Amino acid sequence: MTVTTEPEALLSHLHKADGSATYSYAGYTVIGAVNGPIEAQKRDELPEEAIIDVVVRPAAGVGGTRERHLESLLQSTLRQIILVNNFPRTLIQIILQITVTPENEYVNGKLVQANVNLPVVPALLQTAILSLLSASLPMTATLTSTCLAIISEDGQRHIVKTPTARQIEQSQSFHVLAFTSQNELILAESEGAFTMKEWDDVYSAAYRQCCTTAATDDADTLMDEGLPTDTDLRRFIRSTVEQKTASDLYWK
Amino acid sequence: MPREAEPSLNERAFVIQALQEGQRLDGRALDQFRKLELKFGDQYGVADVTLGKTRVLAKVSAEVTAPYTDRPFDGIFTITTELSPMASPAFEVNRPTETEVLLSRLLEKTVRRSNALDLESLCLVAGQKCWSVRVDLHVLSHDGNLIDASCLAVVAALRHFRKPDTSIEGDVVTIYTPAEREPVPLSWLHSPFCVTFSFYGDNGEIMLADANLLEEQLRVASCTISLNKHGEICQVAKLGGTAVEAISLIQCASAAVSKVKEFSTLVDLKLADDIKRRDKGGLMAELSAENER
Repeated sequence: MTVTTEPEALLSHLHKADGSATYSYAGYTVIGAVNGPIEAQKRDELPEEAIIDVVVRPAAGVGGTRERHLESLLQSTLRQIILVNNFPRTLIQIILQITVTPENEYVNGKLVQANVNLPVVPALLQTAILSLLSASLPMTATLTSTCLAIISEDGQRHIVKTPTARQIEQSQSFHVLAFTSQNELILAESEGAFTMKEWDDVYSAAYRQCCTTAATDDADTLMDEGLPTDTDLRRFIRSTVEQKTASDLYWK
Repeated sequence: MPREAEPSLNERAFVIQALQEGQRLDGRALDQFRKLELKFGDQYGVADVTLGKTRVLAKVSAEVTAPYTDRPFDGIFTITTELSPMASPAFEVNRPTETEVLLSRLLEKTVRRSNALDLESLCLVAGQKCWSVRVDLHVLSHDGNLIDASCLAVVAALRHFRKPDTSIEGDVVTIYTPAEREPVPLSWLHSPFCVTFSFYGDNGEIMLADANLLEEQLRVASCTISLNKHGEICQVAKLGGTAVEAISLIQCASAAVSKVKEFSTLVDLKLADDIKRRDKGGLMAELSAENER
């Protein structure tokens, strides 16, 4: 199966939702839609702020406790960056439909109980952000997110960025981190056994991936040195929205 | 949850009058469908159907389970439809609306009960092991005529799907992973498609094919006919609404036959294209473990 190495996104393609986005990266494709602010049900509404309702739907099978867990993670993350106080007693609904997950060719998957887990979180977060931007909901910051795995090889432990399904299976520990556009850590979830030192390494690797925006004139020097140029997630979000705005404002 | 906005009186009168004069708001002929697109995913068993602004995604998955005790020789085949708030904020999570119930019932009748998928071929060890094939239908965008689009997506996805290859030696069933053996297609018997007609006017004398959401909200009756390209009717559903002349139903049926032939050729064509796209270097024939029938 081909895995996209460059992130791809499509904005505002569903006509009924207020905002929508399709995002694919590292073998995952997620379609997101945002409705809001809309009327909340009387029993749910909060007097001072908007409710953020996140719905994660797996590609196949019914959602279970794992999806509810992911939903609660995303909900508490997004609550902090959306200006919820601007819309008291309303509801902001974020629907994330996973459509493609990377397949492990060496295992036949169990499918009736959907098997959604931490590796999908970066894709879900990025889709949610793009959909929120497409719905023009005010936010304090955007966020970028990445996942890293620590794999031990010949007694040496090293960090793998955006690992494949097979690498995650063999890894010692697996981490998901998200940073706001003000370079603050907003989400850190880890699985497996690791030391504090390893987590610090993971943190700095993720920080480099999510928070450094190589200036346009720097890009040439980087390539000259032969360094692997990482996909710049922050610039990706910015350029996607810029392109969309430019095409929307283009008048005949 | 907000309710779906109903068309205003003016809008209603305008659309109905236009239809009586033989015009549709989007300029289509009365029996003309919107632009239909069918795309297959990188993985097997994913079909994405776009009909105008309606967009539906079907995904097929399979796993081995124990068969139902009253049907030891049959596999399990289920179609699940869940309309999420993505299609319209009026749909609520975990609370099926009438549209959703009717849609899943119709798909059940069209695809499952017409025996399009040979259930006996899904049996591995009688009474102990069988394949359970599951179709998940995701409605991404709802702009009318969900039934026709969904049915096309389900049929296309099932025909595109490949399940892992198996072998049986005595009591031991081996299921091969995609890395070991190329997956095999399902045993498919015929491809049924739905065509929905909407009726307007006091006696349902105006007949429309492929109504969009606005037209769907204004219709006085509707009729869904499911049939395959040989003209064999799987089911006819006319659920309430204004009574319609028998003649118009016959007209519907004959219009449906020609439409289904179009659908059928489209699916065949797209499937052939997809096989060609996957068959890089002509290795597929060698990889296949399937026997000629």
